[in-house]
Parts: sequence; structure tokens; C-alpha cells
Amino acid sequence: MMKAVSCAYVRATAQALSNSLRTTGAAVATRQAHTDLQVPDFTAYRRDSVKDSRRRNESAEERKAFSYLLVGAGAVGGVYAAKGMVNAFVGSMSASADVLAMAKIEIKLSDIAEGKSVTFKWRGKPLFIRHRTPAEIETERSVPTSQLRDPETDDQRVVKPEWLVVIGVCTHLGCVPIANAGDFGGYYCPCHGSHYDASGRIRKGPAPLNLEVPTHEFPDESTLVVG
Amino acid sequence: MKVIYNSLFKRTSTYAVAIMASAFFFERAIDVTSNLIFDSINKGKQWKDIKGKYE
Repeated sequence: MMKAVSCAYVRATAQALSNSLRTTGAAVATRQAHTDLQVPDFTAYRRDSVKDSRRRNESAEERKAFSYLLVGAGAVGGVYAAKGMVNAFVGSMSASADVLAMAKIEIKLSDIAEGKSVTFKWRGKPLFIRHRTPAEIETERSVPTSQLRDPETDDQRVVKPEWLVVIGVCTHLGCVPIANAGDFGGYYCPCHGSHYDASGRIRKGPAPLNLEVPTHEFPDESTLVVG
Repeated sequence: MKVIYNSLFKRTSTYAVAIMASAFFFERAIDVTSNLIFDSINKGKQWKDIKGKYE
């Protein structure tokens, strides 16, 4: 209601003004600057250091420094908190201590006599460790790779030639092969008759690939670490 | 204060670097002091305190 009234009033005034302009024909300058208004005196609210408008503002830097110091202190706390959170999230992706402890197996090699194959459980799978005789090593080294289904030399599969370390899962359908059996003096899978040699390579039968060699190392003469 | 403002806070780049650098020392200080407080509250209960009895 009020709005309608005031709109009508403005329109009427504008019309009256333009009418009068048209009738007199004189240009009327309308000044909107209001230079006659007094600037209020804020001296009572100003700091002493900025009361004189002709003097350089000496305290501005100091006061800004204080504000920025407060903001910066908050930012330091924020950076600390953010770092902690990122650390926690990234850390949650890494394996926990119990998993890491299970991931490696340490084997005393002096317990395994020459010519013997021993089975261990490692990461839920059987792990075959074979102490090969010099004759076996010689035989495996002399096998030409052109004869093999999955061509790998013996040197590619062992770290130390006396020790063969393979995962005891047949690459055909995942049975556990039998040690010291089969036509090639290595491993034999009873499920579908795959023959592996003493380097764990597939020689006969349906399996497509050699037995898998896990990463392993010998920290000293009598210890083997798999994993 | 003026020197700090003009050398560090005036540019955003130096301001950010200053924040990160002080966050490093802040973290170290917080960690060390909170560990000290924890150790003083749990005095005599931790393995490093009773280790001497078993060696």
C-alpha cells in the first residue's frame, strides 16, 4: 500500500518537473554532491596515532602484523591438524604389523639336507624349498630353453643354484604337486599329470607356466628369507 | 613487529612459507611436550621405567 502510494507520488513529481522544463525551456542543473553536508567528526573514536590526517600512518603495519599473526597462528594449527589427518588416512592404507609379520618367512637352511625338498606354509600357500645336488643343477642348466613351454633359464629362476624356492601351486588348476616325483625328477602334479623339473619348470602335462618363484634372498650363509 | 610484517606477512608467498615452517617446529614442540606429560603421568608404569628390575 505504502509502496503504491510513494510510486504514484514520484511519478507525479517527475511529470510535473518535465512539464515545467518544457514550458520554461531552461536547463536546470541538479547537484547531487551535497557539499553542504558537514563531515562528522570521528576524532573521539580514532586512535591517537591516526588523529592527525597530515601525518604518516605509523601504526598501521604494527596493527596489521598483529592481525596476521593471529590468523597465521590459526593456520599453523590447521596445518598441524591437516598433516595429522593425512598421515592417518595414508597410514591406514599400509599393511598392519600382524600382516607384515606374516608376509615373510625365515628358514634355517642347515636343517635341509642336500637332495631334499621341504614344504613350508607361506601366505597361505605351500612353499617348496629344494636343496639341489650338483648333478641336478648341472642337468637343469643344460636344458635348452627351446624345448620349454615357458622358456626360462635355470639362472633366471634361482638366486643361489643350490636352493630352489618355488610356490607349490600347480599353474594348471592349483593343486599341490608332489616333490621328487614325475618324469623329470622335480615335481609332479597328481591332479592332471603335470611334470615339473628340478627347476620348477613345466616339462610335460597340461600346466601352461613354470612354478612361481617368490622374491627371496639370503641374508647370510645359512638363512633364507622369502617375502 | 614492523620488521616481521614487512619481511614475512606482506607477501602471501612468504606468509605461507612462514606458516609451514612454523608448523614444523610447532608439531615438534607439541609432540615432545605431550610425550613428556604422558611420561610424567605414567611414571613407574612403563617398560622403560621398570626395565632395570629385569636385566
